[in-house]
Amino acid sequence: MEIMRVKSLWTELRHLVVAGAGVLLAGCSSSIWVEGDWPQPLIEPLPVRMGLLLDDEFLDYVHYEEIPRQATYTIQIGEANELMMDRLFQSMFAALEPVYVLPLAQADSYRIDGVLRPELDRYEFDVPLGERDEFVEVWIQYLVRLYEPDGQLVTEWPVSGYGKAELNGRDASLNRATVVAMREVGAVISTRFSEQPDIQYWLQERANATALSSEALSNN
Amino acid sequence: MRLHYLQKHSPITKSMNLKAATLLASISLGILSGCGVTARIEPYKETEAFLAEGERVVVLARKHHASHEAEEDFIDCVSDGLAGPYYDAGGLNVHNSTEFEDSLYPWFEPSMAPLTTDELAELLEKPNVLDRVRSSGVRFVVWLDGSTDRFASGGGITCAAGVGGAGCVGLAWWEDDARYDATVWDLRELSTAGTIFADYNGKSVMPALIIPIPLIARPQAAACRGLTLQLRQFLTSPSIYGAGPELISN
Repeated sequence: MEIMRVKSLWTELRHLVVAGAGVLLAGCSSSIWVEGDWPQPLIEPLPVRMGLLLDDEFLDYVHYEEIPRQATYTIQIGEANELMMDRLFQSMFAALEPVYVLPLAQADSYRIDGVLRPELDRYEFDVPLGERDEFVEVWIQYLVRLYEPDGQLVTEWPVSGYGKAELNGRDASLNRATVVAMREVGAVISTRFSEQPDIQYWLQERANATALSSEALSNN
Repeated sequence: MRLHYLQKHSPITKSMNLKAATLLASISLGILSGCGVTARIEPYKETEAFLAEGERVVVLARKHHASHEAEEDFIDCVSDGLAGPYYDAGGLNVHNSTEFEDSLYPWFEPSMAPLTTDELAELLEKPNVLDRVRSSGVRFVVWLDGSTDRFASGGGITCAAGVGGAGCVGLAWWEDDARYDATVWDLRELSTAGTIFADYNGKSVMPALIIPIPLIARPQAAACRGLTLQLRQFLTSPSIYGAGPELISN
């Protein structure tokens, strides 16, 4: 009887140890699917027709990082990338359509003035450990590339954003800080796109070309 | 004959009991008097403007500082407090903060939000922004800056468990400071209507005699209540009042 009781106690203890280890391990890894609100920017659209090329690496972007003695982070940003960029560029231009290849086919190049191809270049974050640190911080950098329809690169513009969120649940705060950083990127792109020198020149060329073709049409 | 003897305490025992009771009472009084929240509020209203029928107010957090930011919970607390009833008075017409920022995206993002009424005037000149602000019905923007921080703590509590039982002994304390500035902008006049400075300091104590006894001061909650009350008066009163402090912004 005594032996049975000891065996039963040992089994219970083993179960407890396994359960505890499971809880500990779960606490050591974070998997976050970035979700947020991506409002359309309140700006005047530019009078150009753009194609948007989102390649697979951009759409499936995952940031994986192991921090020694802390945790392992897997942050899925791909879907958020697509939603944010689509809403952003829809408002920025007179027309926007998805494209899947560069250079464009001849039929497409007549109705599209340029192609945008964003890339998520860098993602960094900091989750506080000590009591003095209150905020989760995220730094994110995109490269916005503008191409002519024939595939010629017009400009490559690095745009970065910073986001912070008070620590209130590690995963939720990291999601929140990422969304803030991405929205900052959207804010910079939507307000300063036309101020970039290469893009300014490109827009002027498009405007001149449009004016010339309108004049030619009216003369005919 | 039975003799009944009244059991009498010896003078020494009586004296010891009295001293122990006095000591316990002094310690308790000392602990209790150390708890609680001290408050300082300085409102300053520069104009006679007030929230009229159909007009709305929105509460936003200043987010351009790297080191601090008014907590989301605090913003919600003040917003909900203004929108809720107060004794016989009804709630004010409060616009949801997130919806306001989203409807005016990207102009109220942390790096883009206007920091002065001059920048606000420039913002409203941008295409479609003034129309969007007008359609929101917002007349006043309340910018909340500040935070609640723990600036001192000490003591300690030790707990132990054994075969005969478990218990804790010790004394832990901490002090929190909730300091907030509210700056009210009048979107119609494009000017600052006034400011309210609130500083709430709270000391919490947790003595442990077998079990911990938390005596928690909540300065942030008190700051929310105090600031909400002051903002309500500010937004509904047509008179100018107060001579505000010099607010130092970092």
